[in-house]
Amino acid sequence: MAKIEDLKDEARKLLREGKVKYIIGYGAGSNGWPAAPLFIKKPEDVDKLVWDPTCVHNLVRFLVDEKRRKARQRQPDKRPVGIMVKGCDSRAVVVLLQEKFIDRNDVYILGVSCEKTGVVDDTKLAKKLPGKKAKKIEVDAQNRFVVTTEEGKTEVAAAEILAERCLECKANFPVIYDLLSGEKTKRSLDEPFGSLQKIESLSAADRWSFWKEQLDRCIRCYACRSACPMCYCDECVVDSINLAVTAETTADEKAQRIRWIQRSAESSENLVYHLVRAIHLAGRCIDCGECERACPLDIPLRFLNKKLEKEAKELFGYEVGFDAALPALVSCFRDEDPQDFIR
Amino acid sequence: MELNVYTPKLAKIVQAKDEVVGTRTIKTFRTEFANGARFDYRCGQCAMLSVFGKGEAMISISSSPLIRDYLQFSILRTGRVTAALHDMEVGDLIGVRGPYGNGFPIDEWRGKNLVFIGGGIGLAPLWSVVQTALLRKSEFGTLSLIYGARTSRDLVFKDELADLKSQMPVHLSIDVAEPDWKEFVGFVPTNVLEKKPSPANTIAITCGPPIMIKFVIKNLKDLKFEDDQIYTTVENKMKCGLGKCGRCNIGFHYVCKDGPVYSWAELKKLPQEY
Amino acid sequence: MEKTLAKKSFSQWVKKLSSWSVYIPRKDEEGRWNYAEADSGGVSLDVLQTTLPPKKILFPQREVFLEFAKTLAGNRETLEIKEVLPEVKPTVIIGARPCEARAAWMLDEVFGGEFKDAYYWRRRDQTALVGFACTIPPSENCFCTSVEGSPHSEEGLDILLTDLGDRYYVQSMTAKGEKLISAAKELFEEPKPEARKQVKAAHAESEKKIRRQLKDARPIAEKLKGMFDSPLWDEESMSCLRCGICTYLCPSCHCFDISDEVDNPSPLRGQRVRTWDTCQFPDFTMHSSGHNPRPDKASRLRQRLLHKFQYFIQVYDKFMCVGCGRCITLCPVGIDIIKVLDKVRDHGA
Repeated sequence: MAKIEDLKDEARKLLREGKVKYIIGYGAGSNGWPAAPLFIKKPEDVDKLVWDPTCVHNLVRFLVDEKRRKARQRQPDKRPVGIMVKGCDSRAVVVLLQEKFIDRNDVYILGVSCEKTGVVDDTKLAKKLPGKKAKKIEVDAQNRFVVTTEEGKTEVAAAEILAERCLECKANFPVIYDLLSGEKTKRSLDEPFGSLQKIESLSAADRWSFWKEQLDRCIRCYACRSACPMCYCDECVVDSINLAVTAETTADEKAQRIRWIQRSAESSENLVYHLVRAIHLAGRCIDCGECERACPLDIPLRFLNKKLEKEAKELFGYEVGFDAALPALVSCFRDEDPQDFIR
Repeated sequence: MELNVYTPKLAKIVQAKDEVVGTRTIKTFRTEFANGARFDYRCGQCAMLSVFGKGEAMISISSSPLIRDYLQFSILRTGRVTAALHDMEVGDLIGVRGPYGNGFPIDEWRGKNLVFIGGGIGLAPLWSVVQTALLRKSEFGTLSLIYGARTSRDLVFKDELADLKSQMPVHLSIDVAEPDWKEFVGFVPTNVLEKKPSPANTIAITCGPPIMIKFVIKNLKDLKFEDDQIYTTVENKMKCGLGKCGRCNIGFHYVCKDGPVYSWAELKKLPQEY
Repeated sequence: MEKTLAKKSFSQWVKKLSSWSVYIPRKDEEGRWNYAEADSGGVSLDVLQTTLPPKKILFPQREVFLEFAKTLAGNRETLEIKEVLPEVKPTVIIGARPCEARAAWMLDEVFGGEFKDAYYWRRRDQTALVGFACTIPPSENCFCTSVEGSPHSEEGLDILLTDLGDRYYVQSMTAKGEKLISAAKELFEEPKPEARKQVKAAHAESEKKIRRQLKDARPIAEKLKGMFDSPLWDEESMSCLRCGICTYLCPSCHCFDISDEVDNPSPLRGQRVRTWDTCQFPDFTMHSSGHNPRPDKASRLRQRLLHKFQYFIQVYDKFMCVGCGRCITLCPVGIDIIKVLDKVRDHGA
């Protein structure tokens, strides 16, 4: 079992010795979900850290914020930040390293292993225990989830409330870390890309109406983009004005900026936004599922990214987020890359 | 038929003059309404100009409301809408809706001396009150202008300033010395300290880049101007111009509706978020 | 006017409202609620809080303002613009919560005033709100009683329905409400004396069931005046993702953008549209020069809270927050407006 105490000891030491600026971890939430991101600056606050199956958030997103923060400061503090990562999250760190967005010295990685389980999906939990609010979720010795509600404890088989992506997990323990708590357990996984089967079995016409119906609900809140660690562009294709404006940006540059996608949440615009975002993440998405979790209208965004992940594997034998030394998928070409789709 | 508040009236560009050429291009436009529509406004108010297909931009009306034949706007080329405006020619149609904002309380200043302090394109919002004060000269005390820009090329209303010198003291400045420049060299706030306008029965009205306004106000206070003797006009990003879209607020004020004109006494009570 | 309506007659009443566009909360297969047009399927008010509030019906995500077109006549180019005001059928939103109706009142204030927003009022004038008293709290995070609302408030509603078990107690406050009742007046009965007692008891009970509290909201509003430069905003906004969820799903948030959408560049043809916008996006207040009065998450979180709990009070003497709790429930990182304001209240204490 990954023990939060291991991480707390290390975190306390790092803060006391001033080795990190602050620690990004998980703490208690207040809105009904037991866990929430927590930023710890003082060693005495380290006791607030938690680790349990409700720690579903991908904290790597905050490394992007940290970089932006430093860019705004005249004399930035160059010390690293400490960050708690699960297996999936650590792959996001690898991608950021691969793309040279951050430096290895910018992070001190406190890894936790999910061992034989993973994180809980809030929708599945709500369906399993309708009307009940989970105060705490723990893993017992038989790798079942024990959910504490106001009425007491209930045991649930992990597979019933695990997040979909945990059933296809590629890394149940961090692939990169400075400290690891928990065992590097081998686990049997669901069939890789098994979650795509249902959609892939639909006819093209049915798939089109499925996606049209789902994406018509989108209100363009951009929570999906905001939650994704890899959506770190200063200026996104969907932004209608230049965001990265300096004193040197000319009026012509601003005037000539093309509005690729309108702000209206119409079918055409929503479709283009989500498809372009999925393609921009091809070979970069590590399936942390944050986009889908953040979406207030529960649009199944993961499928779009998962499909491209499958293609990256099938066409190019590429698996995202394991080797920071590899070039990014779309920025390199190998002689043996398939060419039969080039006509 | 009364158009709804978001629909602009069509206006024709009747004059387009290059005010400043080079990198910080400024053009002055005069417009006439297409259907002879009435447009009453107070000096200091602004209008939302539409370039259909590009968008809208809130620009202060720099001509005096006492001149009924046209509206004048001086526009810096800085983005999508203003670049499109600059590319337009005499005869082209744009949309104009307004007037918006609270305007300068010029009637309260009767009998007082007025000193206008502008920087760069900041002279344009002040121009309407300068021209109005000149047309109503007998109602006011002495009028004077302290105005500067980065270079002599960046001064706006160059021809008009030459005329203005015969009607009131005009103190010009540029930031860095140039061979033929005989007047003050330095920043506008410094020129204010140099020229020492007296606060006795005087109102100071200033507009320019935010940093210039900040230092002008500081220097005016050093010269013993009271907070309610100093007026400025602020700007913020705007879309609706009607105090609805939630964008241009400073505290509980909307700059488009409750401003843009503020005395320092009022402005310092609002959060410094502009 | 006060009546009662047997629950088994409720669907019949909705059927009789065929000359109105009827919106009612609908549950999808995943158990999510949202307002949708009532169809031939059964209607019930056994609802939890909808994800999107009814503001999307009065203030849609996209509203066309006008159309513009250039035409070439000979070698002269002319430009024509045409207003496009919405054609709206009489509409009724059934099942609106009292908090959502109060928010509608706030939108009325914002879109009224000196410059009346014709697009909003075309919709608003045609819309009746039939509210549903919260005898069961619709959300884990609602706190309407802390912001001067109540689970049985009539403000902004045309009719208030209260669940009395086998029937609804029907209170009609306006002419629009009476019209809805007379569309099926045979279904409504005069309330018996015990029904009146029951509804009073149900209302009193409902106030006690509200899940969360924000203590001392008015003193907090006053204290916020001096908190503009506090480091609190930076601390509380550290985990903010700067998405738009809190504001888009808020019943009273109304910020918008106006942009031109070009269908054809030459000859020019397109529309000017209004779309939702949010103070939480970084480019919301950015000037063309790049200068941004709110360049970081701290200033944007501060703007949201101050707008809701201080600026609106300075102008209208009412909290702009109605305590529905959506921003708390749906924030992906659990930023809790009640917790933040608790810290404001206890700051420096």
